Amino acid sequence: MDSPDNIRRKESTHKLLLQAPGHGSYLAHIRVIVGDLARKVGFDEDAAAKIEMAVDEACSNVVKHAYSPDKEWCWQHRDPEIRLDVRTEGSRLVVEINDHGQRFDFANYRPVDIEDRLREMKRNGYGIFIMRNFMDEVQYNSNDQTGNTLRMVKYLKKA
Amino acid sequence: MKEFRIDPEPRGLVQLIRLSGSLDMYSFPRLEAQLNAFFQQGRYYVVLDCQELDYVGSAGLGALIGFAKQAREHNGDVRLLNVPDRIYKIIELLGFTKVLRVHNTEEDAVASFATR
Repeated sequence: MDSPDNIRRKESTHKLLLQAPGHGSYLAHIRVIVGDLARKVGFDEDAAAKIEMAVDEACSNVVKHAYSPDKEWCWQHRDPEIRLDVRTEGSRLVVEINDHGQRFDFANYRPVDIEDRLREMKRNGYGIFIMRNFMDEVQYNSNDQTGNTLRMVKYLKKA
Repeated sequence: MKEFRIDPEPRGLVQLIRLSGSLDMYSFPRLEAQLNAFFQQGRYYVVLDCQELDYVGSAGLGALIGFAKQAREHNGDVRLLNVPDRIYKIIELLGFTKVLRVHNTEEDAVASFATR
């Protein structure tokens, strides 16, 4: 049986599950909630702003690409939803973003040269660069049962 | 959470636009429509006052550099004013401040077009 100390320790685990419609009008709510949790668990303002932006880019991609009405649906019997599982694991924040839309060919994605894009003043193509640069780990998995899951990790740097 | 707002306040030939709320992939089409309307009227001197802006995503930033490029092709520009520190740090880190001109006072931003 857990001692009161162990129970308190379990209660102190930070975890947030969020299920939102895959619609752009929910993006602000999602990033604000995740940003607030990041601050609550000890990230400073700069790190929390990066986490917020990385999450916003990931969820924007789900809305814009995975659930794009221009693409063939593989989730036609489902509502377009974004599910987030945000939790602390030791000294790191783990954000898992799940959808059941069109999968993204992450393995064959070629990183963009941000300097070139900026020099040419291109409008698009910054999202994945931002996720990879603002988070410490970014992984993407896709299968027919569980859908598409983007997992991002940010380590809490000790002062 | 503030609702995204666009409030144009013309300053002579310069189109000053005060933005508030979040400029993300959901809201930027509204700014896009406003800038397209100005460009169709041949108004390519634009200053965006960002003082009340609390977030800018890559869709918003991409749109801004796209419009700045379009304006520059017509001898104009899209310039930023009063960018909050929190947003400035992010856009500087990403390199967007190398291509977008940022001003700290309305006078500077408006006058910068007079020296062209």
